[in-house]
Amino acid sequence: MNNSTKKDGPDTDLRSLLKHQHKRVYSICRLFTHNYKEHQHLFTNIIAAASQNIRSRKDNSDDKQTMLLRACINMAALHSISLELESACDRTIQFKSPDFQRSMTNFRETVGNISDVEKILLFLEFEKVDADEMIHLTGLDLNSRPANRKKETEAVRKNFIPYLKEKLIWS
Amino acid sequence: MELKKLLQQWNSFPEVSMEERPILSSDLEKIVVKNPLSDAFYLRKKLVLRIAVMSVLWLINIWQFRHEWQTQGNELYPQGALFILLAYCLYFHIRLLLFADYPTLLALPLINFLNKLETILDKYIVSFKLVSALSGFYLLFVVERLLARISTGAYESLMQNDWYKWLILIFLSVSIDILLLHTIIPRLKKLMTTVRKYRDGINSRTAK
Repeated sequence: MNNSTKKDGPDTDLRSLLKHQHKRVYSICRLFTHNYKEHQHLFTNIIAAASQNIRSRKDNSDDKQTMLLRACINMAALHSISLELESACDRTIQFKSPDFQRSMTNFRETVGNISDVEKILLFLEFEKVDADEMIHLTGLDLNSRPANRKKETEAVRKNFIPYLKEKLIWS
Repeated sequence: MELKKLLQQWNSFPEVSMEERPILSSDLEKIVVKNPLSDAFYLRKKLVLRIAVMSVLWLINIWQFRHEWQTQGNELYPQGALFILLAYCLYFHIRLLLFADYPTLLALPLINFLNKLETILDKYIVSFKLVSALSGFYLLFVVERLLARISTGAYESLMQNDWYKWLILIFLSVSIDILLLHTIIPRLKKLMTTVRKYRDGINSRTAK
């Protein structure tokens, strides 16, 4: 009896979390899929991966969000790799719903031909994930980007020169 | 400005139509227990099967090696070499299985996930060298049994000359290795190269 309630507890939490967060999963599917079959396949794989991640770490709810986002990103990357492996794959956008088809076509036209890493960063931007969290989620060294590097070196220079002056004068 | 426009488009996205949407409530039970990794990336079952088979072979080998040791038989050195090889194969496969740690693999950050995936595939490709060496030993035993039945003279000369035995063993192992290099390994190498290219592409884009 006790065992069954214990067993039901986390599973119910997991199910409700996945039901509440499924729109996030739809969002990444929009960026990485071209037709409804791919969409469904990626969606189910992300949900399965997220549930596996959450089950493997029974921590607080913040951690669950991270696990869900990592599942989204990693499964989207695997989806892209699988598509690359297929010799003949159709990349035209084909959805049954005319509204969805139109929105997808417009969105892809606006975005243009962007790389997967840009798609991932765009997804995280839309999901309002802050920069530190992005590094934590992807493992990418976003601080090494030239823009950031320039800012960093300027900051170092600003701090370094007074420090150097101080050192030289006092010594 | 461009990002604002994109965000507007993003927020005004219609829902996926009902016929295209995976039905969450009823399917969720099935989805959450499904393995998200495809067969190409999920090597756990294959590794477990290999470990089970190797364990059985190792136990049989221990018994045969002990017997050869006690009777000072002709097969003492091949059985000794096989004992060491099987022990190393078991260690290699168990280590790879523990390293892969499939339940937590997808919870890693993207770059670490891709690095680990590449390492797993690389080590799995290396494991085929061990498999070909093992196959060489067992094929040698099969050849010996066949010779004992077909031609006793040839069998006797093979038993008396250890060099012939080792040369046949090397020839069989190399042949199996070449066979694997042209059948199973190209597919795995292609997969590993694609993962590597994808990871390098991400890293180079981030550095730009």
